[in-house]
Amino acid sequence: MKRSGRNSTPSMQLSLRVNGEAREWTIAPGDLLLDVLRREGYYGVKRGCETGECGACTILLDGKPVNSCMIFAAQAEDREITTVEGVAHGDQLHPVQQSLVDHGGVQCGFCTPGIVLSSKAYLEEHPNASEDEIRTALSGHLCRCTGYSKPVEAVLAAEHAATRKPSHAAHSHDIVGHNEPKVDAVKFVTGRPAFTDDIHIPGMLYGKILPSPHAHARIRSIDVSKARALPGVHAVLTYKDVPRVPHTTAGQAWPEPSPYDTYLLDSKVRFVGDRVAAVAAESREIAEEALRRIQVEYEVLPPVLDMEHASDPGVPVIHDEKDSTGIHDARHNVASVIHKQIGDVEQGFRDSDLIFENEYRTPRQHHCSLEPHITITWLDEDKRLVIRTSTQIPFHVRRQVGMILQIPVQRIHVIKPRIGGGFGGKQEMLLEDICGALTLATNRPVKMEYTRHEEFFMARSRHAQVLRVKMGFRKDGTILANHMSVLASTGAYGSHSSTVQGNTGSKVLPLYRAPHLKFDCDIVYTNTPVSGAFRGYGCPQGFFAQESLIDEVAEKLRLDPIELRLKNLIRQGDTDELSAQLGEGRKGLPRLIRSCGMDECLARGAAAIGWKQKRSARRDKKSPFQHGIGVACSMQGSSIAGIDWGSATVTLNEDGSYRVHTGCADVGAGADTVLSQIAAETLGVTLDKITLLSGDTDYTPFDVGAYASSTTIISGGAVKKAAEKARASFLEVAAPLMKVPVEKLTCRNNLVIDLDDERHTMPIAEVARHATYKAKVQIIESASHFITDSPPPFCATFAEVEVDTETGKVRVLHLVNAVDCGVALNPNLAEGQVEGAAAQGIGYALHENMQLDENGRMLNANFLDYKILSSKDMPKLTTILVPTEEPLGPYGAKSIGEIAINNPGPAIANAIYHAIGIRFRQLPIRSEDVLRAIHERESAAQPNFAEVSKSL
Amino acid sequence: MFEHVRAFHQPRTISEAIRLLNHRDGVACLVAGGTDLALRAGRTVTDLVDVTHLGLAYIKRDGRAIRIGATTTMSAIEQSSFIQHMANGILAHAAASCGSAQTRNLATLGGNLANASPAADTATPLLVLDADVVLQGLRAKRRLPLTEFFTGPHKTAANASLLVELVIPGPEPRTAWSFQKFGRTEVDISIVNVAAGIKLDRANRVTFARIALGAVAPRPIRAHGAEFLLEGRVLDQHLLDAVSEEAAQEIDPIDDVRASAAYRRELTQVLVRRALLECAARLERAL
Ligand SMILES: Cc1cc2nc3c(=O)[nH]c(=O)nc-3n(C[C@H](O)[C@H](O)[C@H](O)COP(=O)(O)OP(=O)(O)OC[C@H]3O[C@@H](n4cnc5c(N)ncnc54)[C@H](O)[C@@H]3O)c2cc1C
Ligand code: FES
Ligand code: FES
Repeated sequence: MKRSGRNSTPSMQLSLRVNGEAREWTIAPGDLLLDVLRREGYYGVKRGCETGECGACTILLDGKPVNSCMIFAAQAEDREITTVEGVAHGDQLHPVQQSLVDHGGVQCGFCTPGIVLSSKAYLEEHPNASEDEIRTALSGHLCRCTGYSKPVEAVLAAEHAATRKPSHAAHSHDIVGHNEPKVDAVKFVTGRPAFTDDIHIPGMLYGKILPSPHAHARIRSIDVSKARALPGVHAVLTYKDVPRVPHTTAGQAWPEPSPYDTYLLDSKVRFVGDRVAAVAAESREIAEEALRRIQVEYEVLPPVLDMEHASDPGVPVIHDEKDSTGIHDARHNVASVIHKQIGDVEQGFRDSDLIFENEYRTPRQHHCSLEPHITITWLDEDKRLVIRTSTQIPFHVRRQVGMILQIPVQRIHVIKPRIGGGFGGKQEMLLEDICGALTLATNRPVKMEYTRHEEFFMARSRHAQVLRVKMGFRKDGTILANHMSVLASTGAYGSHSSTVQGNTGSKVLPLYRAPHLKFDCDIVYTNTPVSGAFRGYGCPQGFFAQESLIDEVAEKLRLDPIELRLKNLIRQGDTDELSAQLGEGRKGLPRLIRSCGMDECLARGAAAIGWKQKRSARRDKKSPFQHGIGVACSMQGSSIAGIDWGSATVTLNEDGSYRVHTGCADVGAGADTVLSQIAAETLGVTLDKITLLSGDTDYTPFDVGAYASSTTIISGGAVKKAAEKARASFLEVAAPLMKVPVEKLTCRNNLVIDLDDERHTMPIAEVARHATYKAKVQIIESASHFITDSPPPFCATFAEVEVDTETGKVRVLHLVNAVDCGVALNPNLAEGQVEGAAAQGIGYALHENMQLDENGRMLNANFLDYKILSSKDMPKLTTILVPTEEPLGPYGAKSIGEIAINNPGPAIANAIYHAIGIRFRQLPIRSEDVLRAIHERESAAQPNFAEVSKSL
Repeated sequence: MFEHVRAFHQPRTISEAIRLLNHRDGVACLVAGGTDLALRAGRTVTDLVDVTHLGLAYIKRDGRAIRIGATTTMSAIEQSSFIQHMANGILAHAAASCGSAQTRNLATLGGNLANASPAADTATPLLVLDADVVLQGLRAKRRLPLTEFFTGPHKTAANASLLVELVIPGPEPRTAWSFQKFGRTEVDISIVNVAAGIKLDRANRVTFARIALGAVAPRPIRAHGAEFLLEGRVLDQHLLDAVSEEAAQEIDPIDDVRASAAYRRELTQVLVRRALLECAARLERAL
């Protein structure tokens, strides 16, 4: 049967009940229920994978949870459907919803509707469910943010109608330092339309990219006439139709340190998934059909897939175009190189008694945000380009799109709605330029999104690295020299190439004091999916290598691994000079350690895991199940010193509430909540008096965006400054009213208080009304903020594992993270960051790896074969927040967003070694690899240590 | 994805379903839970025939035999106290390991078998339980052993007929059973799965043996060689080694993104051994 456009599609009537109301819809017989529900405005039903794996699209069908992406709409005939929108009674939340809000069970909120529905259904049938049963019931809901601890805790608490966990520290503050629920949590648990895709714009077209089937090819000819002729197609763009502007997609402050090696569309394709053409059509089906009708003749070039041979003589050149800039050595496929040194490592090695050296390998890891990249663009009534997009970097997107599409920044309006997880993957301008180009070409609103499949290889990933670490020691275990050499693949484009790798050196090596430090790195292009920013930003690779080697050395020196670390760790008062050498792609600034709780992290973490007993526990050598524990340490930064900056505006409303505008981009981790807490604390009002608007380039002031663990310290610093100024202006108005000098007044709990007589108060609302209508002044203050240092948070991680020596399977039984993040402004949210990072880190250690075939095609681009952990896979998590006071941070805070991803890899590898005596120097450590290594050891004495040892 | 579908049929009788399936004009396809089908891009399918309104969702006793209707869901099987107690609950255990709760609420037993994935989790327990499938074609009704139903990866003997029900003869009494599944994570399709059943006389001599292996050959298979080794012998560590090695020789695994063939072979050996050990434990026999 031939079809053209929607009109000729056969249709049928569907009658069903949704959330208790009868519905009658016209559908196509092949429609899936997910598509129909979203089309009809049930936006709480999320699209996360369309393959039945993620659970974001869960609904209740006659009371039972099912994934709406794997059932035909017609199958719902005469059935009763409940979506998340139907769970609360008016404003009265269901106990599960309330509990998720209260217990911090919600981060980005994208997985939340499904979790609400499954939990509700399960608890109704199993009112006394155990934690284990709840974990099983929720195991079909992938959550990339929380690590599942808090959602599970929340569901358990809902069952017992338990009340909110009190803040665990005594506080001198009213609001910061307390477990305030996320300010946006209610809209997530009720499934209100908050995400990029949760709107419908009349006339909106569907845009789609034709991905390259080849890893490396030149487009000899491209014929789009058949695609253009298809009814319902409004635009087909190829490189011939768009401006050619070299740029980087990396969302970094201008001038970006990443090479300008990327084009909106090009006549050459450099990885499987690279853009060949783009179409905009009336529907997804028509757009997909149009792509099939584009005829491309490729001159297929040999691909460069192996980073270790990317610079070999005679290897094809990936970036042979003339107009790219900032590439170190395009002819040898070298995007960037780094050579930095403090002291003289060669001298250090000469002075050392012992030298150890080994090589480590880390995989490409994917972010797997539950919400794939999505952008909607349109022209507003003034013909300005509006970009509604799932991004961490609204202001960089505005600048980049302006440059690529050659329109002034002033003519662009970027809106960041709620974001379904970022983790660095959305620190990238990825769909915004091409979507905008399609809107300009058609004059119509256009939506573009990656399917889960496309997201895996067309978005970004963590850089794969080969790391060689060489360390020189004195006999007593003091480190004299530390030399790390890294080879990294940036994939087809150099986005974040020098900076991620720079971080591998600057954040990792200085963890241990040593007079001689050296970092060498080559970052090469390969015809593989593009790497980019990912939580940890180069550190998980570096710490895996360094923390593994330290563990190996401890054994050689017969020292307890904790003791060896304590001997060498950086301390308060130290200056990290390597960071001065390794800035954001240029010279940076030294880091003075003003706060450091590492000793306490190690001590409390060791106690929590039972280090002493378990390290020396006798083992049953006959059992196939062997236990072990391991430790790893790391540090991170808080913002990019001297580069990241943000700003905020604080405005008083006539009722005594405040509006706070900040350019900062909450990606689900809770920035809006923490910034609201800072504002409320500083202004002396309760949290409900703060309305925070963020991440909109028309309505909020500039901020570099959510990355580099900068939000709390930079955006938070800006909010605090602006709020302090607003409070001062406010008190100027209050003072004459209360007849008390300004310096004798304070604001607290919505009152202005006379410090000399605390009973003498006046409601802030009264002063606000006076200011607005009598004094006729708008209390409005702005502030900008940056710092020239990047105070590191610290983390000690302990893992306990069980290795099944017959199958090779490694089960993590317990993971303890003890973290110094300064003062935790919201301990519950801080723990959530640690737990979520822990889950990603365990996945990185044991499962996650983008597998490519010999043609550069990704083999496991789906959640079935790219495994991220479920609630059932997670070990017991213990999170310990070790308080310190950071002078540079607002209210003593440091960052918490990234650090906890660094350690699970080495801690687990070290624990496996402790369990079975085999060292894994490559991630992920799959059960298959473990079993192979066990067999190899059985058949031969394992060549264990590449050690260049001098006489002791 | 299913943009060429022109009709979604919801027949109420088996004969109508079969008539619709065999309709000459266009490409018809049966759909039960949809959990396999809806995820495939069915770009050629023109007619979908829903089989969930044919009264085939049941678990019935028929003398000593058990009949399970093709559209019985995995959840219903997993939660049936009868199935939980039949043959040490291996079928319930296998059903409970199929995907997540949301999948199992839709996924049917018939769909799992008709889809004929080599990794289908319910196949191995049904194979060791000597189950038969009942197929209704345009003209005739056929009953054939499950071993003959699977003909290759995603290929069955169903042709254009409807899988109506599974018939499990009463499980051999005083027999112990085990189901073992190995996945990369807790919710995963099988890298290898094994079902086994044995009966021992007073001297620990094996008087009945069944072993089935999944995800290690083009279709779920019985390990006849290993079973043969077991029968009549005294079950001890030595025999366990021999049998699990034999089972690992009977398979024809592939290398894929989930595991190498060599690893599947090793896992087969380990899981067969563990299955038999669990059976022995269930019979309260020490080896
Ligand atoms: C996320 C996810 C996880 C999964 N995990 C597992 C797992 O761990 N283990 C496992 O074994 N499977 C798993 N599956 C696969 C799937 O759920 C099962 O195979 C399921 O039992 C299929 O049943 P269904 O009713 O959904 O089949 P459908 O998708 O409706 O049909 C599957 C095939 O069988 C045919 N068919 C259906 N019923 C009949 C019938 N009565 N007669 C003849 N032909 C028929 C259909 O035409 C179709 O070709 C998973 C699927 C998903 C989406
Ligand atoms: S979108 Fe349905 S399970 Fe992921
Ligand atoms: S909160 Fe679960 S995916 Fe973000």
